[in-house]
This record gives sequence, structure tokens and C-alpha cells, in this order.
Amino acid sequence: MANARPGLLRRIVRHRADYLYVAPALLVMLLVIAYPIYDTIYLSFFNTPPNLALEDKIFIGLGNYQRILGMDSFHEATWNTFVWTVFSTLFAFVLGFGAALALNREFVGRGLMRGILLIPYVISAVAASYIWRWLYHSDFGVIGAISVAIGLTENPINFLDSTDFVMASLIVVNVWKEFPFAMIMMLAGLQTVPDQLLRAAQVDGAGPWHRFWHITVPHLKGVTLVTVLLLLVANLNSFTIPWIMTGGGPAGASEIWITHIYQLAFGRIRFGLASAYSVILFIVMMGMGYFYVRALTKGDAK
Amino acid sequence: MNNLGPNGFSRRGLLAAGAGLLVGPGAARSAGVDAAAWSPDYVRKIAGTLDVDTAAECAKIVPLNHTGKVTYWYVGPNQASPQIDHDIDAQFWAAFAKTYPNITIEKQSFDYNNVLDKIRTAALGKSAPMVARLTLLWAPELAAKGFLQELRPEDVGYPTDEFWPGAMKSVTWKGKTYGVPTNNETMALIWNGQLFEQAGLDPAVPPATWDELVVFSRKIKEKTGKFGYGMVARRNAGNTPYRFMPQCWAYGGGALDEAETRPGYGQVYLGNAGTKAALQASYDMYVRDKSVPVSALTNTQTENQDPFIAGNLGMMISHPSEYAVMVDRAGKASGEDKKQADAVVANMRYGLIPTGPSRRAVVFGGWNAHIFKPSVVAGKHDMDAARAFVAFMTGPEWSTKLAWSGSNPGNTRGFRTSWMKQRIEQIKFLDVTTSMLTAGIPFPVIPESAEIMNIVVPDMLQNALTGRMSVTAAADNAAKQVKDLLNLG
Repeated sequence: MANARPGLLRRIVRHRADYLYVAPALLVMLLVIAYPIYDTIYLSFFNTPPNLALEDKIFIGLGNYQRILGMDSFHEATWNTFVWTVFSTLFAFVLGFGAALALNREFVGRGLMRGILLIPYVISAVAASYIWRWLYHSDFGVIGAISVAIGLTENPINFLDSTDFVMASLIVVNVWKEFPFAMIMMLAGLQTVPDQLLRAAQVDGAGPWHRFWHITVPHLKGVTLVTVLLLLVANLNSFTIPWIMTGGGPAGASEIWITHIYQLAFGRIRFGLASAYSVILFIVMMGMGYFYVRALTKGDAK
Repeated sequence: MNNLGPNGFSRRGLLAAGAGLLVGPGAARSAGVDAAAWSPDYVRKIAGTLDVDTAAECAKIVPLNHTGKVTYWYVGPNQASPQIDHDIDAQFWAAFAKTYPNITIEKQSFDYNNVLDKIRTAALGKSAPMVARLTLLWAPELAAKGFLQELRPEDVGYPTDEFWPGAMKSVTWKGKTYGVPTNNETMALIWNGQLFEQAGLDPAVPPATWDELVVFSRKIKEKTGKFGYGMVARRNAGNTPYRFMPQCWAYGGGALDEAETRPGYGQVYLGNAGTKAALQASYDMYVRDKSVPVSALTNTQTENQDPFIAGNLGMMISHPSEYAVMVDRAGKASGEDKKQADAVVANMRYGLIPTGPSRRAVVFGGWNAHIFKPSVVAGKHDMDAARAFVAFMTGPEWSTKLAWSGSNPGNTRGFRTSWMKQRIEQIKFLDVTTSMLTAGIPFPVIPESAEIMNIVVPDMLQNALTGRMSVTAAADNAAKQVKDLLNLG
């Protein structure tokens, strides 16, 4: 029995100092993460109409979940969320990767260019949303005025007040805001690609495309996965840009899960319903979190 | 253990209020206004006939040497407000500090479209302010949720009948009173006479009916290329129902039966022929004639101000303060812009909101002062300090001054003061908006009102104007939502 693993309690006692050090952090996490999660799940089983105090909430079991899954607006928001998340992630990654490849080469003004490309990332999302709202303004926007001035269109383009164009217009803003993040991540990844391998391949007659495809890309697999997962999570949780620019409108055309949840909770005062919706989003996010952690820990020795 | 009375006030405070009632109400009652005689002439005639000593009135409720603290949330003047609103706000704080030097006010000013969310969240988190000034649409919900302290005008020294019945209704939930009106107003139709002239319309004659407004809007667009009417159809923005509901009521529609003489809020009018006619008129302007801004779906009234001062918008519905806003903006313009802005100000006209087949209607708007229950307020609640503050704010002096450019005193004795006389002399078109007060229709006094007005009604407009639904389907869909919401079958 000398090699038997000690019990949990004994291990805690043995490492009590370590546990003591992390206890404050754990307590804070319990308070600000675990308790709200518990409370949200608990609230999701109750009906909370606006004419009742929250203390008088009515237990309805899984009623809120059934109601959400039957709502037309949930299905529309789900489709919008899918479009928003996939296209924002795709374009932000492609643009960010392209910019990283360009910035990974030596050229005059590279530092300046790197700084300029980072600007959208460091600008406050609230300020950026208001600025873009005015750039896009359907009657007096700069973009519309330019398109009319150069004869591209007869009237200013209706970006935000059209159910057809609003989502694409918001995705453009989102991509502009977050592609520098992908750029930084991929640039860091590119700097880990061994130079010797690239040179050896060149000596062996491999062209730029082959070097990129067979050496650079495989080396970037890990960082790509992490970047894409982080972008997916950020986009699924993205609230500021769609809320400030359109509030989910017009006619729900830019309503995504997170704005819909906010609208249900604070616009319609249905905290129970919004909690059930949040639990659904939480489950999706946990799924993504699982893959993220797997990607981060892949290859780690036990 | 605090010594709160049945309404949460101290016994000393209640005695003081009782004394106030004995001394003041006789005079106050006779100094009220006669709603039956209400007209611009009547308003002008009574203005300046009453002297008020605010400190003396407040002292009857809470001694002026009271020491305490009040936390207060309100929607204060912002960048879109005229300078005079900022000046009066500053004067108010200075005057209160002089009257009650030992009461500290910790104030926070919020954006109109955010304050309700913040109040709801804060009250749930038991960190609401002691006092808040909120628009009359919100009181029933907060009272139903048990956040508000019972508060009658008598609790701050004023008889209930000094306030408009519609305003009192807005602070009443299940027979109990939860606030004191601070100010009440109705809006008016504002138009640019110069654009009317360019469109071949008489610059002095506004559209008499909503059908005519649609025609005028189209003519302005056709003849000048400028937008005819400043429609607002943004979701989660109070500006939207304040502009659409008068149109809806005029055609015989409504959210519920709020426009009827004795509303019971048991019938949904959103799907009726009147609402559909009003929605059709909006559709005609936005889709058929393209005579209103395309950005109406994302605009609030603030976004109408720039095109109006630039001479690019013919008509809009707004407060009398819009004139002061335009004068301010013209003052800040330069060069050719200044010439244009001055021309707009010179040609700015105010008139009654158009009528419809059923009635002429306007939203009875306004704000109320509320005291939150100690159980939802962070820290110690000083009820007497809160009452002193509400008494100061809702008396004839400050309910007149704080409403200087955009509203009217909630305490109707304010109409008799010299400050009201000054307002009438200074503020162009004030008599037009004031004269409509007796015709104002309050939004339904139910907890679901904010959701219906700020979400269901704008969604109905957006569904129809974007072509996502037909006019009929959009109205029926909205009606169904409200029926589900209120369990009306």
C-alpha cells in the first residue's frame, strides 16, 4: 500500500498552503461566476411577469425552455447569430491572417503599419459603433454621400434601415474591429515558424506557395485553432456593435442571441425567459470552451 | 427601528404635512386652475397672479435645518438640450442648497433611453436611489413590483387636486398613489414655413388632418427634394410612441382603449381599423412616397434636429423646447450654414397636432417624482430628506422653472406664478402646446405599458415599413402580442 495514492482530504491537508494561496481567487470566482450561473439556472424555471415582484415569481419547470424553442423570434435570432458569428469569424481571421503575413515580411514602415492596423482594436467599441452609425447613416452618411458623388448609386445606400443589408453592414464593422486581434495572434504564430526549415525547403526547390502550404500552415495549426475559437466565442457574445448601431432592428433583422436576451430581460422584463435563453447560450459556450481547452492542452504531458 | 408611519414617513413629518394641509390647501385649492376654461387666453390671463414662497411651503413639511442625504437619479439636460435647460438645472441645485443647506443631494443624470433599465436593475439589486424623477409611463410597473413607496401630493404639502387628473392617474396603482407629478406637457406640430412655400403650400397653414399631413409631406418631397415629415420609428425609444400614438388615436386606433372616455384597458385596439389606417398612412409616407427620412427606423427625435435646422426637413412633432434648441443651434452655426439656420428659425411655426376621423389627440406626457422603498435602497433611507427634496421640486416655483423650455408645471399653481408669465413672454409657441394639455391622452396605466409602447408598437411600425409584413399582418401581429401579454385571450 506504500504506493497507493493518498486520499483527497489528505492531499488537501498536505498542500494546504497552496490551497490557501488560491482560496481568495476561488472565493471571488465563486461569488462573481458560480453564484450568477446558479441564480440564472434557478431563475430559468420561473415565470417573472412585469406586474409581479421578483420574489413572487411563479415556478413553471421547463416552461421557459419550451416557450423559447417555440418562438419564431428565437429561430430568426438563431439564424442571425449563425450568420453573424460564422462570417465575422471567417472574414476577421482571413483578413487578420493576410495582414499578419504582410507584416511578417521586412519592409520600410512596417512598425508604423502595424500600429495603424491595430487602431480599430484599441478604439472603444461604443465609440466605434456611433462613428460607424453616422458613416452608414441612410440619409446623411458619408459613405452614402460618396457613393452618390462618384455616381456609384443614385441615392445614398440604405445600410442600417434595410432588412437585406443591415446584417452585412454590421459584420463589416465587426470584422474591422476585430481583425487586428487575429493579426496579432497569427503574427505571433508566424514568428515561431523555424527559418531553417523554410530555407532548407527553398534549397530543395520548393516555391513560395509550397513553403507556405507545407511548412508555415502546419506550424500555425495550433494558433489558428485557438484564434478561431476565441473569435467564435467573442462573436457569439458580441453585444456592443449590434445593440448600439441597430438595437436588433429593423424588424429584428439584426437581432442575435445576446441582444435578444437583453431585450427579453430589460426591454420586456422577462427575467425568467431571458435566464432560460442565457442557459442555452451558456451550454453552447461551454461546448466551445471544451474545444478551446482541448486545443490549448493538446500534447500536454500528464 | 425607525419611526416610520403608514407611508414610511416619520410621525413628525406627517404632523407637519397635516399642518400644511390646514394652512395651505384652502388657499392652494382656490389658487389652482380651471380646466373647463382652459385656453391660451386663460393661461395668459392667470399667469403672474400668484406669489409663492417655496422655502416657507417646504418648511411646513420638513424643517429647513434638517440634516440628511438624498440619492437622486434623473434625466438631466444633455447636449441636445438648449442652454437655458442647463442654466436652470444649475440654478435649481443652488436654490435647493440654499433652502436646505444641511441636506446633501448625491445626483446622477442618465440618458432617457437607459434610465429605466438602470432603475429596474438597481432596484432588483437593492441599490436604487432614494428619489427618482421618471416619465409617467414607468410608474405602474415599478409600483406593481413593489419598488415604490406610497407617496401622495399631500405627503409633501400639496393637495392632489392641484395636479392634472391624468398625471395623478399615472402615479396610481391599485388605488394607491406612488408619486407626485413634476411636469406635464403635450407636443405640437412644428413646420418650416419656407419649405412649405417652396412646395407651393401656404406657409401659415399646417395640415389640419393626418391625411393632409401625408399629402403635405409628399408635396414637399416632390417639389423640393427635402424630407416632408420627421417620422420616428426606432425601437426602445420613447420618441416613437409619442409620435405614432397621436396619429393612431386620431384614426380611432390605440394600443388598448386608452383614448376612450373611460378606459378599462381590457380591449386591444392595435388590430382595429383605426390602427391599421394610421399604420397605412405611415407606410404611404415611408414606402410609397418616400417623403420621410429612410433613417426613420433608427432615428430618435434628436436625429431630426440637424436636418430641420439645415432646412432639409419640413415637419416634425416635438416639444416647445425645440424652438430654443433651434435658436441655440443657429447661434453656433457660421457662414452659409448660419444664414440657412437663421432662415429656418425665422420660418419655424408651431401648430396643433393634426386631427383624424375620430379625434384630435396628443400624448399627455410628463414626469413624476418617486420615493423608493427603504428595502430597495442602498444604505440608510432618510425619508424626511427625500420628502423635503420632492416638496421643493414639485412646488409651484420649481415645477414651473424646471419645465421652462419644454414642458409645463405639474403643480398647476405654477401656471399662476410670475415665472409662468415670463415663460409665456419668452418662449415662442408655448401657448400652442399648453393649450392642448386638456386634450392629452395618457398611455395605459398598466405595468406592461413600457413594453407595449417601446417595443410592440415600434416593432409593428418596423414590420410594416420594411415590408417584412403587410400593414394588416403587422397590426394583427402586434395585437396578438398584446393579448398574449395581458392574457386577454
